[in-house]
Amino acid sequence: MQKSKFLPRGRKDRTVVMVDIRETKSAKAADHFLQVRPGKDFELLTIMRAMIKDQEISEAEVAATGVSMEVLRDLIDQMKKAKFGVMFFGMGLSMTRGKHMNAAALLTFAAEMNAFTKFVAMPMRGHGNVTGADVIMRWQTGYPFGISLNRGYPRYNPGEFSTVDVLVRGDTDCAFIIGADPGATMPKPAIDHLAKVPTIVLDPHVTHTSRLSRVHITTAPAGIAAPGTGYRMDEVPMPLKPALNSPYPSDEEVVRRIKEAIAEKPDWMTNQPQMIESQV
Amino acid sequence: MELKVIENATCTFCGCVCDDIELHADDMRIHQAKRACILGKSWFLNHTAEKKYPEALIDGQPASLDDAIQVAANYLYDADMPLVYGMSNTTCEAQKECVAMADLLGALLDSHTSL
Repeated sequence: MQKSKFLPRGRKDRTVVMVDIRETKSAKAADHFLQVRPGKDFELLTIMRAMIKDQEISEAEVAATGVSMEVLRDLIDQMKKAKFGVMFFGMGLSMTRGKHMNAAALLTFAAEMNAFTKFVAMPMRGHGNVTGADVIMRWQTGYPFGISLNRGYPRYNPGEFSTVDVLVRGDTDCAFIIGADPGATMPKPAIDHLAKVPTIVLDPHVTHTSRLSRVHITTAPAGIAAPGTGYRMDEVPMPLKPALNSPYPSDEEVVRRIKEAIAEKPDWMTNQPQMIESQV
Repeated sequence: MELKVIENATCTFCGCVCDDIELHADDMRIHQAKRACILGKSWFLNHTAEKKYPEALIDGQPASLDDAIQVAANYLYDADMPLVYGMSNTTCEAQKECVAMADLLGALLDSHTSL
């Protein structure tokens, strides 16, 4: 692992604490492992938030999370002593009971830790340029994800406008999917709804989602045959250096052409207002 | 066929986005991805410049790109609540176009982050 001015011994100067519901391979690579009871993430985070401020916690509340009071005290002690802490979190937090509220609890915890030492929170990214999507949406709309533009201005509400929820409730009546394969990863009710409505897919391969879609357009794979920019997980933009020339157009070109085809039609705001007049 | 070497190429398979990969490629495929991890190697070596799929499919049938773009635009425009989703395995330039399109449509806009 990288050695630096402040961490001359590399990995030896760093401490990794793994929190999970089961002991995975990553747990073996970590210095400490905390096994939290499934569905108790929010409780554990809230207890830790209280403990950093020396507020009183009952033993029973701590025991319910599956982690002992001594272990937590020790962990908080180490966290406060750290020079720079990072909380990495993934889908285990945001896709279990509590969903985005778990992530919100962790973000608040990270913010509150800054009363003692420098701490940040960073989502672990599975795919290449998810961070870029966050950055671009923040730049263009002011919000990172879960946005609705159907009133003509951006509104943000994860849980209401986030894709899984929208699909499971059956709210959307047309889906445009780019650089993703929800047909292989999402819960079944969400996939069923995607198959029901007209779905448009842009992908370098014919994917599971392409098979249930009305329109599939093959595009050049980004970073391999299409140029552009990609964001690293810590929000550093990187230029992509394509090695091949694809026979297919880039995502950028196809989306721009679809956008231009839509722009030629009359504006929906004046022609198809999405409101029920009797309720206005 | 000429072999080219690309220094400091960027790998977009996972969120780490390593930018020190050395790629050896000819016109058709990448033969070597030095310094890439096992995931990065399979990412670079499994994509080729072959025309493996038709340029577009409409209702599962091969179609032209122009037709597919028009049909896609019609579906999106006719919808009351379209959804623009994904944007992870693509470039920032394409993401910007997606946001502009969602704005034009009054659509829902979301990425993998919400998962």
